[in-house]
Amino acid sequence: MIKLGFLFSRLRVEEKHLIKEIESRDDTKLVMLDSRKLVVDPKSNLNIDVLLDREISQSRALHLMQLLKNSHVQCINSYEVIRICGDKVFTSKALREAGVPTPEVKVAFTRESALKAIEDMGYPVVLKPVDGSWGRLIAKIENRTAAEAILEHKSYLSSYYHSIFYIQEYIHKPDRDIRALVLDGNTICATYRTSENWFTNVARGGKAIKCPLTPELEDICLKASQAVGDGALAIDLMETEDGYTVHEINCSMEFKGSMEAQSINIPGMIIDYCISQAKYN
Amino acid sequence: MSFRLGLLFSRIRMEEKMLIQEAKNKNIDLVKIDSRKLIMGLSGNYNFDMLLEREVSHSRALYALNLFQGCGFKALNRYDVALLCGDKVATTKALEDANIPTPKSKVAFSRESAIQAIEEMGYPVVIKPAIGSWGRLLAKVNDRDSAESLLEHKEHLGSYYHSIFYIQEYIKKPGRDIRAFVFGNKTICAVYRSSLHWITNTSRGAKTSCCALTPEIIDLSEKASKAVGGGILAIDLMETDDGLLINEVNYTVEFRNSIQPTGVNIPEEIIKYVIEVVES
Repeated sequence: MIKLGFLFSRLRVEEKHLIKEIESRDDTKLVMLDSRKLVVDPKSNLNIDVLLDREISQSRALHLMQLLKNSHVQCINSYEVIRICGDKVFTSKALREAGVPTPEVKVAFTRESALKAIEDMGYPVVLKPVDGSWGRLIAKIENRTAAEAILEHKSYLSSYYHSIFYIQEYIHKPDRDIRALVLDGNTICATYRTSENWFTNVARGGKAIKCPLTPELEDICLKASQAVGDGALAIDLMETEDGYTVHEINCSMEFKGSMEAQSINIPGMIIDYCISQAKYN
Repeated sequence: MSFRLGLLFSRIRMEEKMLIQEAKNKNIDLVKIDSRKLIMGLSGNYNFDMLLEREVSHSRALYALNLFQGCGFKALNRYDVALLCGDKVATTKALEDANIPTPKSKVAFSRESAIQAIEEMGYPVVIKPAIGSWGRLLAKVNDRDSAESLLEHKEHLGSYYHSIFYIQEYIKKPGRDIRAFVFGNKTICAVYRSSLHWITNTSRGAKTSCCALTPEIIDLSEKASKAVGGGILAIDLMETDDGLLINEVNYTVEFRNSIQPTGVNIPEEIIKYVIEVVES
């Protein structure tokens, strides 16, 4: 019997599907771990074999995974993978080092140097929080006036990470991007997310349509997955005239949109993957 | 030997002035890198051979170290060491995994579970920001009323990391703690930091005096240094009836108040260690 810890703080549609899937299996015991109720010792193993992270707060997930390091518990995803995927600077760097196409990026640490980096790169640029998700606080900046105003507003935000300025070249993409779900390097499906707005997150109103898998797509997803250390990942790609470019990789991903567009059992495949990790280790 | 040393900073404090002077004395070519003016790409070339990190902002230090090391430069301290030492949860985990005596701690992720953890541990406890320095926002919590109001205030602080509740048992120390300077896993010297207040940071008014190195201090400090990956470190120890405990490990070391009491030229020792690492 495998004890599968399910880390969460809110049960979204995805979590409900995953839980149903776990409960349907005879060889797996579901251990619900509500992060809001957890008190963890530095040496605890929570009495589980494998942990599926479905926590929406990345700082919580990261610190918990850290405390489980060196224990026998296999975490989906591991501390190292969350650390990289949860931070846009580290993701960009990992992709670049592995030779995976990814938009150009500059990092600056003050308003003044950020403005200079933006002007050097040329408008439009995209400014992103290094640790954000759901498209929150992502800004497309068209000119200097906008840059100055947004940088000033950012400097009043209290979080620690808003003083790291992540500046990305703007990619002229069709009004859609692609989200590929990748388990241990294997792309199980891909979905177009279309939107009239320039950002295409389903959470912000993007629509999901099935995207056919091609060898080119599977190949870049495999390389991107390996670049960040593999796991259960959602890889976001954009189409350009020169081929695909990977702009983000998500842990603890949302796949509601993909489920609507696909006929495969996504939660079942994720749980299969978790169980396979527990058995191999 | 001749090499170019990059000095990453955003404020030149007394420590940085001393380090710059020591580098000059050793004929080291110093390249000052003001993080406030820095724009970094994912790859790049810089005109130095090795980086000495003296940045006061932890987040800047972390990202700059990561990107510099990604470009192939040696750095002191290393990114992974800064990552561990900059986060109390991570430091505690590393110390416990290495079986180094350290105060008992619990981690919780919400106000409710934090209260539960505090009550289980028993008052008084200490609540610390997982990321923070100079004794800022350290809170000794004596009873449930203060625990509740503190946790509520913490929740409104806004920063991402204030939702990680790091709860440590309160150690009754004899009006002082010990700070040991360990460079390259070698203990250079140590000071007592004495204060009438339970917080013994010098930035909060604690006074320093010489602490003679004992085999126990040396042994434990060097073990703690190794547990976090080594480098230029200041290790904070507390004295208890059952021996010493390691409380924290600091990676951008402040030392201005420790030179006079110990008689050790700490900046010179740092530069000597930098040279050692470059040569290795």
